[in-house]
Amino acid sequence: MSADERISESKDREIVVERLIHTPRALVFKAFSDVEHIGNWWGPNGFKTTTHEFDFRIGGVWRHTMHGPDGTDYPNYSVFTEIREPELISYNCGTSPDEKFWFHSTISFEARGNDTNVRLRLLLASTDLYQEVIKHGAVEGGQQTLERLEKHLLGD
Amino acid sequence: MNSFTALADSTRRDIVSMLARKGELTAGEICKRFEMTAPAISQHLNVLKEARLVRMRKDAQRRIYSLNEAGISEIETWVAEVKAIWHERFDALDDYLQKLQGKEKRNVRRRKNQREQG
Repeated sequence: MSADERISESKDREIVVERLIHTPRALVFKAFSDVEHIGNWWGPNGFKTTTHEFDFRIGGVWRHTMHGPDGTDYPNYSVFTEIREPELISYNCGTSPDEKFWFHSTISFEARGNDTNVRLRLLLASTDLYQEVIKHGAVEGGQQTLERLEKHLLGD
Repeated sequence: MNSFTALADSTRRDIVSMLARKGELTAGEICKRFEMTAPAISQHLNVLKEARLVRMRKDAQRRIYSLNEAGISEIETWVAEVKAIWHERFDALDDYLQKLQGKEKRNVRRRKNQREQG
């Protein structure tokens, strides 16, 4: 686990994944912003991607289906919220326009010579969940209450 | 329905945080906190139960709800999966761009050679 991942986990509801890509920034940005490129790597392993709509501008919609290796289809519906070429792309992401978004994703591109550091930040929409449920304290607290209640019911 | 689909709804998220704070609540107590009909809340509770985010036990006429650790650990697993997906994605991106540039360099070389020869 990288130092960055440790920091992000302490921030409750964030998932951060970072990678140095051995390609200049302009081309890396293009791989994310050009629909011709995305289908070639978006995957992940064993997955195929079909893009139905890709409107790369603020407020534009990106609709794609990820086809899993077991034949399961995963629909994705995203709306771009910020674009700053060549350094940042933000979008809200969910499964359909009728549902609330699950995440806010930010992908940032930092030039490092001929390489590019790409940083993905996923912010979970379910903030309450992350702040209150993942904390083991909350779960354990619930468990203790349960035990107390059981004792009470058993007349202990 | 998985945990995250179940939590895509704000009422269901509120119910889960409420249970995280209080430990246990009856269906009636949960209902009182929302401006919704009992059947609507009951439907939300069923979705949460099916997603294994909450547990229900009956005590005489009362239905008592609490968090279900199985669903919670499903969320932690899910976070790990999301990370794995992005690591794979970055691997594929790096490979793809390497190939693309190799090809571009070769094309440039070929064009250059053609020019020199022509």
